[in-house]
Order: sequence, then C-alpha cells, then structure tokens
Amino acid sequence: MIIFDKVSKKFPLGNYGLEDVSFEIDDNDFVFLVGPSGAGKTTVIKLILKEYQPTSGSIIIDNEDLLSLSFNKISLLRQKIGVVFQDFKILNDKNIFENIALTCKIQNLSFKETKEKVREALSLVNLEDKEELFPIQLSAGELQRVAIARAITGNKKYLIADEPTGNLDPKTTWEIMKIFKKLEGKKTIIIATHNSDIVNSLKKRVLVLKNGKLIKDKRKGGYDL
Amino acid sequence: MKEILLSIKRTPYQSLASFLVLFFTVFLSMILFISLTFLYGLLNYLETKPQVTVYFKSNTPENNIFKIRDELSQSGKILSIKYISQKEAFKIYQEANKDNPLLLEMVSADIFPPSLEIYAKKPIFLPEIAEYLKKQGDVDEVQYQKDLVDQLLSLTNFIRKGSLIFFIYLLTMSILVLTTTTLFKIALKKDEIELLKLLGASKSFIRRPYIKEGLFMGFITSLFSFLIIVGLFFYFLPFLKEYFIDVPRLYLNLGMINFNIWPLNIYFFAFVYLLSLIFSCTITTISSYLATNKYLK
Repeated sequence: MIIFDKVSKKFPLGNYGLEDVSFEIDDNDFVFLVGPSGAGKTTVIKLILKEYQPTSGSIIIDNEDLLSLSFNKISLLRQKIGVVFQDFKILNDKNIFENIALTCKIQNLSFKETKEKVREALSLVNLEDKEELFPIQLSAGELQRVAIARAITGNKKYLIADEPTGNLDPKTTWEIMKIFKKLEGKKTIIIATHNSDIVNSLKKRVLVLKNGKLIKDKRKGGYDL
Repeated sequence: MKEILLSIKRTPYQSLASFLVLFFTVFLSMILFISLTFLYGLLNYLETKPQVTVYFKSNTPENNIFKIRDELSQSGKILSIKYISQKEAFKIYQEANKDNPLLLEMVSADIFPPSLEIYAKKPIFLPEIAEYLKKQGDVDEVQYQKDLVDQLLSLTNFIRKGSLIFFIYLLTMSILVLTTTTLFKIALKKDEIELLKLLGASKSFIRRPYIKEGLFMGFITSLFSFLIIVGLFFYFLPFLKEYFIDVPRLYLNLGMINFNIWPLNIYFFAFVYLLSLIFSCTITTISSYLATNKYLK
C-alpha cells in the first residue's frame, strides 16, 4: 500500500513540484496518474522511488516511512518496484536477456531462476525470440516492451510506468496497454500518461494533478482535466 | 571475467595507465623489500659470528678472565660468551693445519693467547663492549668488525627510512592515479550506475565490478612484477653466488620462525609473490572503493 500524506515538494528555485498532496493506493490497484506537463506526475514517481525527498509530509510504502529509510533499505524498497521509464533506460552494451536479467542479478537469484524469470517476462511481452539481440536492433515499441519485461521481472510488487506510450504509435500503444491489462490484479500498477484514449477506454482509477495539486481522485474515471 | 575483459577493452588507455602506474609501484616496492630483506639477513648473519674477540696476555690468570666474562654477562647486552683457553686455541690451530705438518712443528700451546668470543644482543652494543674491554689491564688485543657492522647498520637504517618515504610516495601516487582512472571508467558508465540504483542495487553490488576489475589488475601486475624480479635474480645469480661465497645461509627473523632467503629457494619467492599480490590488490581495492564511493553518496 502506498500512502501520500500532505506531501509537498519544493524545488531549489522556489517552485512547487507537488503541494499538499494526499492519496492512498491499495495493493493490486490500477491507477492512472494524469495531468498536463509540469503537473507533478514525474515528481510523484520520483518521490515513490525516493529519488526526491519531500519538503513536507510523509510517504509510507508497505508500512515503511520513506523519510527514515537508510540507503540499504531504499535499495530493498526499490527491488519491490518495477519502473518503466519514459526514455526506456535500456543499456545498449548489454543484450536483451542481460538487460532484463539485471533485476534478478540485483536480487541475487541463481542463473537458473534468472533464466526462468527472464523467459517468463519475455513471453508476456511477446519477445521470446529477441533475447540475444542488442537494443540497437529493436524498434521503439519493442524497447518499451523490454523495459516492461525488466520492470516485472524478479518478484515486483509495484509496477510504475512514466509515460510508457509517449513515443509510440497507436497500434504499439495498445499492444503495450494489453500487457499492463494482463498484469492487472497481480501487481499494483501506476501509469503516468497524457494519453486520453487509453485512460478513457480502460476506466480505471484516475488521479488528476494540476500545478502540483491533486484536483481529482476518481474510481472508473476518465481523462478529465 | 568476461565483463572485466570487456571493461578493459572498452577503456584501453585508462587500463594501460592503471597497469603501468601499479606495475611501477609494485615492482619498485618489491625491489626495496628484497633489498631490505637481504640487508637484514646480512645483519642477522653477522650476529651469528663472534662479534668481538678479546685476546688476553699469555700469563693472565684464568680468574681474571672469568671475572671480566661474568661482568659482561651481567651487563644485559651479551647474548653469549665463549672462553677459549690456550690449550683449546692450540687444538683449533692443530685441527686447522692438520694437513700441513710444517706449521705444527715448533708450536706449543704457550704461544696462543687465551680469548673470549663475545656475541652481543644487538650490533649497536659492540662499540661499548669493545671500549670496556680495552680498559681492562690484562687485555692484549680487541678485535671486532666495527666498520662493517657500522656501515651495514647505517645502510640498513638509511634504506629503511628512505624506503618508507619512497613507499608512501608510491602508494599515494598510485592510489590517486588509479582512483582517477576508475573515476573515468565510472563516468562512462554513469547512466548504468544511475539505473542500477533505481533498480534497487546495493552499494556493494554497484562496487563489485570495479573491485573485481581492480583485483584482476592487481593480480596481473603482481605476476608481471614477480616474473621480472625472478628474471633479474637469475640474471644476477652468478654475481650473487660470488658475493655470498662465504655465507652459507641468510635468514630473516620473523618472530617465531627464521625465514631462509639465501640460498634462493621457492619459499622465499612464494613469499615475495604473495606479498606483492596482497600489496597490489590492496591498492586497487582502496582506489576502486574511493572512486565508487564518490558516485554512491
């Protein structure tokens, strides 16, 4: 469970990334985080990953207050969160298998377990035959699927995606969303997006951010700014 | 291993710079260490020889000699004292010249002076002991290897102090250069490190490849330095054999055990290699740790 309690994030120049934001996300919930550019979607994700420190308020994940976590505990927390980054963050000098296996290596899984989990994830994103290829040999849509495969590999409880369809054509966008749909109910999924079609079609919980403030929190909501 | 070789291949100049600096440090440190080892071995060897021999006048009563012997024994500076009577001295002479009857003719025990062979606890006590003996009335002559011992002592002291300063300089230089080259390597992998942090990698997980590469570099460097040192030893072996012709054995006192260094033996070489391996791996580990620490704060 993720709890934001009156969280504010003020940047050094004085502008607010988030202002007095509170919400709770239950386990296995499916949530869209929407809002225009600069609304604070990425700030929420960075606060969950403890890349940012809140200026005030508290963030609690699985009963742990992020403010009091040591580096080692932050590492353990991050091992529970799979993240799909907007720019994929796929390492070009490693092949697809090695990129996905990174999370398993971090969790000290055996090679046999790693192999099983990577193949399972590749099968879920329909890239079974691409494990030996290098990122440069894949399309943007395929790279996004690799990023999702990496995010779900290795016993992740949370899946957070920051604009996962931002650079993709409509067909590939829907293929990616199908993957998220397959994972619904198995993990807590948080997707930050601009894509109104997806939000309106899937009818999931929607958190609407504007100028760093949470202006709407609606179950079965739509892209309604 | 594959990752280590790949990393070296990707940053050939940084790797070469690391290797050369580390090789320079390890090789010179080993040379200094071996030089000091041999000097200490020589000092130990000299300590096994009668360091001071005092000859008394032929008519000196034994009681006077025993009195001097007892006084020296009680000074706390003496390891052992051996009394050689005129008869014993004559026997030694006979044994030494048994193949030359001409030298044995016309010689009796009376012409050999009684003597004391004195072994000091430390070479530094030798001048003091010699001075004391010279002041005794019955003493005819005091012999001791003052110049040799003095020279060896001052040389050992000089090399030890000089080595320490040089060693600290080498150590600082190599750690700085290796840390800088590792920082270059990390800068090339900055994105990967950021990603690993976001995926939940621990500090030790992020450090591991750099530490492993450092250990590999340490191993290669120590092996390379060691092979060159062994080569040099064998090249200079005829000279060393000639130089140490009268020295049957040199050893280093390591507390409980005496470690043989001459004649050259496999244990000595193994010890030198082990030491160079530990030394080079320590340098690379410290450097990798310092470099990665900067990115993990």
